[in-house]
Amino acid sequence: MFATKVLRASAAAAHAERTPMIKFLGKRSVPANIDHTPHVHPASPTSELPKDFTSSSTSFSSYRQQAQQHGPLGRSRPADGSIGGHSGHSLGPVTPAKGEYFDRSELPARFHRTPIDLSEIDAIETGGATLVC
Amino acid sequence: MLRSLLVPRVAARSFKQSSSLPSVVAPASIARLSRRSYATETEQQDLVIIGGGVAGYVAAIKAGQEGLKVTCIEKRGVLGGTCLNVGCIPSKALLNNSHLYHQILHDTKARGIDVGDVKLNLTQMMKSKDTAVAGLTKGVEFLFKKNNVNYVKGTASFTGEHEVKVNLSEGGETSITGKNILIATGSEATPFPGLEIDEKRIVTSTGAIALEKVPETMTVIGGGIIGLEMASVWSRLGAKVTVVEFLGQIGGPGMDAEIAKSAQKILKKQGIEFKVNTKVMGGDASGEKIKLEVEAAKGGKQETLESDVVLVAIGRRPYTAGLGLENIGLETDDKGRMVIDQEYRTKLPHIRVIGDCTFGPMLAHKAEEEAVAAIEYITKGHGHVNYGAIPSVMYTHPEVAWVGQNEQELKASETKYNIGTFPFSANSRAKTNLDTEGMVKILADAETDRILGIHIIGPNAGEMIAEGTLALEYGASSEDVARTCHAHPTLAEAFKEAAMATYSKAVHF
Repeated sequence: MFATKVLRASAAAAHAERTPMIKFLGKRSVPANIDHTPHVHPASPTSELPKDFTSSSTSFSSYRQQAQQHGPLGRSRPADGSIGGHSGHSLGPVTPAKGEYFDRSELPARFHRTPIDLSEIDAIETGGATLVC
Repeated sequence: MLRSLLVPRVAARSFKQSSSLPSVVAPASIARLSRRSYATETEQQDLVIIGGGVAGYVAAIKAGQEGLKVTCIEKRGVLGGTCLNVGCIPSKALLNNSHLYHQILHDTKARGIDVGDVKLNLTQMMKSKDTAVAGLTKGVEFLFKKNNVNYVKGTASFTGEHEVKVNLSEGGETSITGKNILIATGSEATPFPGLEIDEKRIVTSTGAIALEKVPETMTVIGGGIIGLEMASVWSRLGAKVTVVEFLGQIGGPGMDAEIAKSAQKILKKQGIEFKVNTKVMGGDASGEKIKLEVEAAKGGKQETLESDVVLVAIGRRPYTAGLGLENIGLETDDKGRMVIDQEYRTKLPHIRVIGDCTFGPMLAHKAEEEAVAAIEYITKGHGHVNYGAIPSVMYTHPEVAWVGQNEQELKASETKYNIGTFPFSANSRAKTNLDTEGMVKILADAETDRILGIHIIGPNAGEMIAEGTLALEYGASSEDVARTCHAHPTLAEAFKEAAMATYSKAVHF
């Protein structure tokens, strides 16, 4: 009897000496509170996100404040002489003065005539005959 | 009839100005036709994935399983990306079969096997590799169907923040919109300045797995994992291989210095010549042999290396060309990586990036982990990747594998640690296999005994590192591993014994 007690006690003591560092985690669940604000990626070589990262990702309006298209889109930016720096209204009318004409080739490329090749011209002039003959 | 013949050509036409042409067709109608395309407007997807490599296809399957309406766009024509088509998988097929060939040639007598005339059939070896690749890529395609993933073959580029234009491989184009977009375009081999890659004589890893004959001589620029694996293949098949490495140690970043030294010694014994601390100054491929000018990295002794084939294996770089990132204001960092936050989001939060084209090691299994995590972030708002527990494996013989920190890193961070090592020469299974080169090395925190790093060189190291990664992931101590029963006789016992040696003493050494 006594020997068994001693053995049991020593066995318990032996187990108590060491607690495995591995913990049973159980079934994983999504944490209740997650901070979704952008932070630096754990494998990133730098310790911070680019400046335009945090602000633009919160809403479209804040993105628009940062966005550029022929100059800044945001209206709060002061006029700095660059394209888009002044409102169109303040630049005056765009219609040509009397006797003045714009040539299509002076307009931005997207307004130019699209090129067509000779075979297409032939096709149109012959009603498509050159394509099928 | 005429309309159907004309429209495709007109639609495909560029907008370049040609002022000399007469205005035969009214400009307005031309403009209308120019806007016309083959586009078949599809319904908006929950997720559009650009890239069908390991990162992209795993994300696509996971997204399908989670019930998302998902489209995966791949331009290669087959799924699996670099890993399945020209990377991990074909190289392992060649490594395994070249090892068998080499073993039959040189390592049978002591085992009591007399073999006759042994011949290499390289064409068949390549076919065997291709069969493995084809089987796996088709398997992925099957998984796409099984999980309702819409697969589009073509080249994608951004036309809007939610819109992607795809130039279809079969011709024409389509436009796909997605609530979320995942970029997983992978990486490409970094070229060496001054050496023009032709994938025949001057090759990257892509060409190195498809050489038509065994070269007499081969020079490998870069002693990292890819370089050493390919050096092993062609050396085993009969080429005289020289590896030129700029740094003082082989194996690339992360490999423990002691293990790297041991690997170099063993590979040298196998016939591979090493030139470490050596830089390549330039090359000349005009002659029958390719000439490489090399000199000591710190300046000094110059030498010319002549070889039939040069393998450029100096690393890989992110591949985002043609994506049209500029159209949506996304940028890459100085190394071409796309910048992301902790949830893989770019500054446009519905566009995420995973795999080789962003931060972290360029490893297929890292990309897979990120793929699952990224989908979980989209669907559940929470994902998990432990960047401190991503294993690396070099599939030479013996294999080299590691996870966690190495000794150099621990010294640099002034962490106090214990080391436990166990050689395979004292492991019963390694002895019976007559394959005893290498050892297991475990690094654990001196105070808590928590395992900080595991480094293995030896047979089956790549399989054995899984146990180490699990231990690291769950914060195990070396004693936790040492007190876990391992079957006898197995190579894994060396792992247990190294853990015993870390916190106490190994029994069999």
